[in-house]
Amino acid sequence: MALFPIIGRFVGDFVPHLVAVDTLDTFDQIAEKVAVHSVGRRLAPNPRAKGYEVLLEGKALEGSKRLDSLMAETPVLPLQWFDVRWKQ
Amino acid sequence: MALLNRDDWYDIARDVDWTLSYVDRDEAFPEEWVGAKDIPLEAWDEWDEPFRVSYRDYVMVQREKEANVSAIREAMVRAKIYKNLDGGHKASSQLHMGTTCMVEHMAVTMQSRFCRFAPTGRWRSLGAFGMMDETRHTQLDMRFSHDLLNEEPRFDWCQKAFHTNEWGIIAVRNFFDDIMLNSDCVEAALATSLTVEHGFTNIQFVALASDAMEAGDINFSNLLSSIQTDEARHAQLGFPTLDVIIKHDPKRAQQILDVAFWRAFRLFQTLTGTAMDYYTPVAKRRMSFKEFMLEWIVKHHERILRDYGLEKPWYWNTFETALEHGHHALHIGTWFWRPTLFWKPNAGVSREERKWLNEKYPSWEESWGVLWDQIIENVNSGKMEKTLPETLPALCNVTQLPLGSAIDRFNLKQHQVIHNGRVYQFDSEVSKWIFELEPERYAGHLNVVDRFIAGQIQPMDLGGGLNWMGLTPDVMGDDAFGYRWAADYSANRVAAE
Repeated sequence: MALFPIIGRFVGDFVPHLVAVDTLDTFDQIAEKVAVHSVGRRLAPNPRAKGYEVLLEGKALEGSKRLDSLMAETPVLPLQWFDVRWKQ
Repeated sequence: MALLNRDDWYDIARDVDWTLSYVDRDEAFPEEWVGAKDIPLEAWDEWDEPFRVSYRDYVMVQREKEANVSAIREAMVRAKIYKNLDGGHKASSQLHMGTTCMVEHMAVTMQSRFCRFAPTGRWRSLGAFGMMDETRHTQLDMRFSHDLLNEEPRFDWCQKAFHTNEWGIIAVRNFFDDIMLNSDCVEAALATSLTVEHGFTNIQFVALASDAMEAGDINFSNLLSSIQTDEARHAQLGFPTLDVIIKHDPKRAQQILDVAFWRAFRLFQTLTGTAMDYYTPVAKRRMSFKEFMLEWIVKHHERILRDYGLEKPWYWNTFETALEHGHHALHIGTWFWRPTLFWKPNAGVSREERKWLNEKYPSWEESWGVLWDQIIENVNSGKMEKTLPETLPALCNVTQLPLGSAIDRFNLKQHQVIHNGRVYQFDSEVSKWIFELEPERYAGHLNVVDRFIAGQIQPMDLGGGLNWMGLTPDVMGDDAFGYRWAADYSANRVAAE
């Protein structure tokens, strides 16, 4: 368990943010932590969406998967860019 | 006895070069500061400037300029004209003073380097006038700001800003540290004199002066115009330098100009783009930022490139997209992170202002209006906490500006480099290209996000950040008009007309 800084961009917003996540966070939790800086602030909520999903290099990540599991598979450096978008 | 004509003695007076006998030339003129690289010494004999100013002429003209500026200043201060100016325009002058005064002072150091290390005596002589010009500009800014301290504590940032860690100031300081204080004479002449002073200062000192005059700020407008007359003269030393470099190393000339043009453009989007298209009262705007850029900067830069046989920068398409969008991104960003500013930004999106923005920028509504709609709804429903940030925007490791601030939300994508095991992020493929040209030049500088992660900002929250930036409650940014503009939309959430 460790704090880990990422760059999180909510697709549709104009700016990515510095977001502090935990290596034990699931990607569903990471999506929430990224979305809070955009949805309801500069982007209107989307009642038709079924939550959010996280993407790395364009590939969607399983929501229940944890960041430390991803780190075991592939190098993830501090300030790695993750996209978050509405799940349709 | 009749005096000689200037042209009879001018060349002798300025060609103060001589053969060194007590020290090697390389020791007296280290390559790190000269920057001539493999250009033979005699090539610099062709360096010539068109202004041909003597010290006598210089003093006479400058004395007259000073008298004019002083007369208007005294009259305007007595008339207490500042009190009645529009709040949006006041933000422009505070932003200008905080971000520009110490750049003028840095330019004194650059010009003094020309005086000492430039590769020809002619250039070294001309640098002396540039040095006095820049000293004058620093003093003019300080005097203007000092006059207004009793009216507005934000003018204290004219002197203070560059001694703080305010994020925008870090971006400005980083750029000018790079091209003025750490560049050799040749690079500084092409990047600063030719690109920034001869090109971009037009937008800060001509366009902004014009808008200031329209807004009734005669004192500020007059000060800017007076400064610009000096810039137009001493910026000329870029051309003879380019003449020499083009003959011997055109590839280097192209690269220096392409890097400087992008970095200067990004900075002036921040400083002048927001001021022209959002802070200046809409009825007083004469041209949009984009129109002015196209008319005064782009045409001019294209002509220089064409005249010297150089190519347009490879990133021209990206530049054109950035010209359409970048300053809108910087504006919504600075307004949203307004507690991190030392001026009070005008949101500039009332119905009337929005109509103007849509006329000037046809894609504005889709790219930016939608984001403002959510902000407006939050203001009108009293959710002010949702109109404020809870974290930092990600920042570019070259421009120090937010990722996403070069383009719009539809074109935003990642530009990343991993260098020595560290991730570097960039606001565009252009900034990434700049980094990859000379990674060691940029890799060591920490942007605000890097400093936050390194633990330099404590406590690690917004309050800690504001304290670290030196922002006190008396100057901290807030909406210039107390959010009254949002009432325009209180009956209808969707604001677009």
